[in-house]
Amino acid sequence: MNKRVLRRGLTGFWWLTLVFLYLPLAVVVLFSFNAANSSASFAGFSLRWYQRLLGNEQILSAFANSMVLAIVSSVIALVIGCLIGYGMYRHRHRKLGWLIVLIYLPIVLPDIVFGISEMAFFVQIHEATGLLKPGLGTMIIAHVTFQIPFVALIVYSRFVGLDPTLFEAAKDLYATPFKRVLHFMLPTIKPALISAFFLSFTLSIDDFVISFFTAGPESATLPIYIWGAIKKGVSPEINAIASLMIGAVVVAAILSLFFSRRRRA
Amino acid sequence: MSDTISADIADKTGVAPAAKTTRHQASTRKASAIELRGLHKRFGRDTVALDGVDLTIQAGEFFTLLGPSGCGKTTLLRILAGLEEPDQGTLVVGGKELTEVPPHQRSVNTVFQSYALFPHLSVRDNLAFGLKMRGLPAEKRDAKVDEIAAFIKLGDLVDRRVDQLSGGQRQRIALARALVCEPDVLLLDEPLSALDAGLRAQLQVELQRLQKRLGMTFVFVTHDQDEAMVMSDRIAVLDGGNIQQVGAPNDVYERPANAFVARFMGHDNLFAIHHSEGDWVETEIGRLRLMPGEQRDDADGWLLVRPETLELGPEVPEGYNRMTGIVRERLYRGSRIEYRLEVNECMVMAVASNLGQRIHHEGDEVTISVCPEDLVRVAA
Repeated sequence: MNKRVLRRGLTGFWWLTLVFLYLPLAVVVLFSFNAANSSASFAGFSLRWYQRLLGNEQILSAFANSMVLAIVSSVIALVIGCLIGYGMYRHRHRKLGWLIVLIYLPIVLPDIVFGISEMAFFVQIHEATGLLKPGLGTMIIAHVTFQIPFVALIVYSRFVGLDPTLFEAAKDLYATPFKRVLHFMLPTIKPALISAFFLSFTLSIDDFVISFFTAGPESATLPIYIWGAIKKGVSPEINAIASLMIGAVVVAAILSLFFSRRRRA
Repeated sequence: MSDTISADIADKTGVAPAAKTTRHQASTRKASAIELRGLHKRFGRDTVALDGVDLTIQAGEFFTLLGPSGCGKTTLLRILAGLEEPDQGTLVVGGKELTEVPPHQRSVNTVFQSYALFPHLSVRDNLAFGLKMRGLPAEKRDAKVDEIAAFIKLGDLVDRRVDQLSGGQRQRIALARALVCEPDVLLLDEPLSALDAGLRAQLQVELQRLQKRLGMTFVFVTHDQDEAMVMSDRIAVLDGGNIQQVGAPNDVYERPANAFVARFMGHDNLFAIHHSEGDWVETEIGRLRLMPGEQRDDADGWLLVRPETLELGPEVPEGYNRMTGIVRERLYRGSRIEYRLEVNECMVMAVASNLGQRIHHEGDEVTISVCPEDLVRVAA
């Protein structure tokens, strides 16, 4: 009897969790199709907010900024993080304690601290040399910095999961150092690279705090635009942007799942 | 599916198509001798892996490095492969000095203990890997891969993924991946240790036949003395980074150079020599006569008495040594019977072929006779 009550309680709790997780999202998606201006009541289905989005220069440029920032920073982070991950693997037997801490620090550091210090750093360099004017360039540098540890960690754990004699087998079978990278290492860690790219991309699209502190006047990304727009109240347009972002994330998740499935099939 | 290459190789021996015969003859010509001179290798400050190894391996020989773990056998193999560089000493293969040549420039291939098949590649691409890295065009690669796959009778597996293979199949693909490169020397690092006993015994015979068929120089590493004896032309027994003895299996087994080799080859009947005088030695188990060749004046050392050379029974043939013992334990093994006998408070093992003779019981007192020719003095 008690057990049944407990089980029902747990089931109820599970549903409650789902409601808190997904109801707000559902509401946002629903109201993005609202024909009315207000968020108070639903007055019928309409695509007008999506049409308004396409006509809004600011939103389109914020979207473009977000995409350029996410793709460019993820690619750069992939290259650097991959090298670091391999380096960590190669020298895993040495005592690298403090070095590893330095690499992982950005993961645990609060975004606000990271963002402010990056900003201060960029401003000082800019004042001294005229380089690193706040804008997309500084944002890319900041994003790469916090993406690198994630890529390095994913690549490193893929290498650690491999039979170390594979590296020797490649040498033994006449592969020069360059051919070892091309025909053995890169193909072997390809799944790790794909998922590292998706993760970096998501982190970048998602980021507000660090972007906010390192952005310039013309490099607002979607989150920064939304933050600015929301000060005037939640417009249905914001709902439409949010719905599009939800859609994009779902697609990315499905793609990532597809790639990892195909690897195992 | 058949799990044998032996039958296949036997077939090829008889009715090998012309193309294959030439290939194997070509490999025969390529067989290379190996010269190791003064090899030293140290790991860290304290671990001495090789302590001055000199060794010559003949062209076309099935040569085994035998020893317990940590004896240096694997280090030696890795130096041959180029995966490890010696601190001192030289390595010459087929007349060419290879000491500092990187592994990808050596015509030497390895069958790894873990097989090390590339998980991201199909069986076919694994087999073709070495040829591809050497820059052989795709059509030639395919032809060679098909040929080697048929040769080891795994032609129907080439389009599988590596993780769809059984242990025995992986082992054979790893072997084929090395063989298809037609190296001067093939190195095998305990390639059978992960297989179950039956498959292992079968592959021992197959590998040995394969080596004779190809005439390629094989260097095989194992810690299993039975495996070494079954397969090898010659064996080097290693311990503590030093070669203890090099010889044909029967030399190493019947005339071990020292007590370590004797024990490692499975001999339990080693008895301390207290005193020696002419042809006679005073040992733990009594005073025994040796062959004149065995006489040495040094008192120390051991006497090796192989269990299968002891005869139990009342009659003592002319010129034989005679001892008396009490049966303490008897193990009936069907084809043979093993006894543990107490002689002078020492335990002596004796093995008798089961020829229908009288079986002794625990507690029986038996007369033991042994021919002086079968007694071997072993250095400490």
